[in-house]
Amino acid sequence: MLHLKNLRKKFGDNVAVDHLSLDIHKGEIFGLLGPNGAGKTTTVNMTVGLLKPDGGGITINGEGSPEDPKVRCRIGVATQALAIYEEMSGEENVRFFATMQGLGGALRKERVAWALDFVGLTDRRRDKASQYSGGMKRRLNLAIAIVHKPALLLLDEPTVGVDPQSRNAIFENILTLREQGATVVYTTHYMEEAQRLCDRVGIIDHGKMLALDTVDALIEAHGGESRVIAKRAEGNVEISTSDPLGELQKLQATSTLQTFRVEWPDLEHVFLNLTGRSLRD
Amino acid sequence: MQQLLALTAKDLRMLARDKVGFFFAFIFPILYSSLFGSIMGGLRSASKGIDVVVVDEDKTKDSEKFIVELEGLEELKVARADKADAQDMVRLGKKRAMILLPEGFGRARRQMFGNPPHVEIGLDPSRLAESGILQGVLTAQLYKGVQRMFSDSAAMDKQIDESLQEIRASKDMDPATKMTLTTFLPGLKTFMRSLPEGGMQGGGFPQPKIEQVDIMRSESHPTNSYQISFPQGCIWGIMGCAAGFGITLVVERTHGTLVRLRMAPVGRAQILAGKGLACLITTLAVATLLFTVAAFVFEVRPSSYPMLIVAMFCVALCFVGIMMFLSVMGKTEQSAGGIGWAILVLMAMIGGGMIPLAFMPEWLQSISDISPVKWSILAMEGAVWRNFSPAEMVTPCAVLVGIGVLSFCIGLKAFKWES
Ligand SMILES: Nc1ncnc2c1ncn2[C@@H]1O[C@H](COP(=O)(O)OP(=O)(O)O)[C@@H](O)[C@H]1O
Ligand SMILES: [Mg+2]
Repeated sequence: MLHLKNLRKKFGDNVAVDHLSLDIHKGEIFGLLGPNGAGKTTTVNMTVGLLKPDGGGITINGEGSPEDPKVRCRIGVATQALAIYEEMSGEENVRFFATMQGLGGALRKERVAWALDFVGLTDRRRDKASQYSGGMKRRLNLAIAIVHKPALLLLDEPTVGVDPQSRNAIFENILTLREQGATVVYTTHYMEEAQRLCDRVGIIDHGKMLALDTVDALIEAHGGESRVIAKRAEGNVEISTSDPLGELQKLQATSTLQTFRVEWPDLEHVFLNLTGRSLRD
Repeated sequence: MQQLLALTAKDLRMLARDKVGFFFAFIFPILYSSLFGSIMGGLRSASKGIDVVVVDEDKTKDSEKFIVELEGLEELKVARADKADAQDMVRLGKKRAMILLPEGFGRARRQMFGNPPHVEIGLDPSRLAESGILQGVLTAQLYKGVQRMFSDSAAMDKQIDESLQEIRASKDMDPATKMTLTTFLPGLKTFMRSLPEGGMQGGGFPQPKIEQVDIMRSESHPTNSYQISFPQGCIWGIMGCAAGFGITLVVERTHGTLVRLRMAPVGRAQILAGKGLACLITTLAVATLLFTVAAFVFEVRPSSYPMLIVAMFCVALCFVGIMMFLSVMGKTEQSAGGIGWAILVLMAMIGGGMIPLAFMPEWLQSISDISPVKWSILAMEGAVWRNFSPAEMVTPCAVLVGIGVLSFCIGLKAFKWES
């Protein structure tokens, strides 16, 4: 579906994207996970033709480069920065961008209604976007990105500044879109989101792809050991292990457990082990 | 095409919702033009009638006649009072000047060759400018009496006899003068008799005549002050459009919608054309509205409607170019707005958008050629009251379109698609 090969981009001396390659399969939700400044937005912008790469190649669906308007018709982007007209209503925004995508007539009407319904803004569609909450604006931003039913959807940090309720709604939407056959690229610096949503995750830092696989495989390979934390009559214990169940059984055999919990490694640990830093730095 | 229209419609819709922007594009220019027109009109009618108070200490038929003549003049608004009251009126600023006709005024005026008639003027010192006008008016009026006498032989005869008597009786007159006059006056009397009936009027000596020579074509005067204020106000509305749309381009950049538009399958040229078209339409709408109000409310009838349409179109094109230029003037909405308005106000200042060019110092008038505002006003006035011929319209229009194209290109070259 989307092939990036050896993409490079420098801003002055600052290397934003450094020989980045990846293949995204049709119908998957692909997560691009990395801290702020890792090069996610730069990658997305190059992918959709907003930025010219210094080197490397981008192919979409075997059709060619995103500079071609025909190819761009098949891409939808929700930029990290909101891109909506605040003085227009939600419906007007969606309709305007649908027209820009070349939709017209009854089809446009139907798609606009569908997109608004999809993000749950039908009730508020006549209100000016400036009266929307942050989460509603994000949802509108998403509706605009999907109104032309793109085959490839790129969402750049779509949950920044969004309340938990809107965030859940957005997740639901994305999963539904995948069911309808869309391919989604989702960038985030929240490892929980990548873990919950994505079929495969690429971990990016300083413009380099450090690891790329399914969430389970990444944790398996780079997550390190689980931790078993138990409270016994004799005192508390904390054990690092790759076999938490075995350790628990051993503890139970030798003492009376009052409470216990197991901390499984997650993508945070993966990142820590790969870079020596935490994602949230 | 569908996209271009949608882009244009979007900008027009947003302008219509932007109350401040709408006000400055459409309402403000009307207020400006109406207000300025009425102020200018007021100034003119005030200068037409200088408020004066006349004190008649002569109290003769002749002085009374002179006052009635003054009252008939357009240049003066005449009131009467005694000297003390008149002085107070001038001192308190109620009247601009006092005209005092001293005793003996009437007699002196009747006699041409004795002591000249004598009038005292008491002026409000803060109104020095008007003293010139007033002196001119009074001199002309006094001279008119002399002129009339020449045109009436009987009155002339009587005059000459009276004068001769007085001269002969006079003791303090220089003997040489006395001599000359006593020989000259009877000769004049004979000469006057030999003239055909009707005196010298229309024939005889060429009469001195001061004529105002006009560089304007006949009939091409602004006949009402709104003919000047509406083209000016129109420029303010159009500048409001240029600044407003220039700023929306900056806003689209900072708010990311420009990026989103670029991701849609529309070309960059189309995106900018949509903005330009919206600006053009609004500009023409402003001009149309203003000249409609001017025509229906203030009786400003352009001398040529086709010419006005051509002028409006060229002005609009020019300011679409300027809009593009302004849109690269700042990174943020505030800076672009501030810098943009600073440039526009400067253009207006040197181009006669604030004070009509004719009232500006010469050095300013000479640099006003660089201001598109000057050419815009000239083109519109050309169609409204200057009676421009098509050939005369070419220069301002060509300059306007030239400035428009140039600033559009500069703007395009410097235009940044990303923030
Ligand atoms: N337009 C730009 N000009 C200069 N530097 C930039 C620009 N955009 C991004 N960068 C730099 O490139 C790096 C990657 O940025 P970005 O792709 O926005 O990261 P992310 O989206 O992962 O937070 C950062 O160091 C950022 O400062
Ligand atoms: Mg980013």
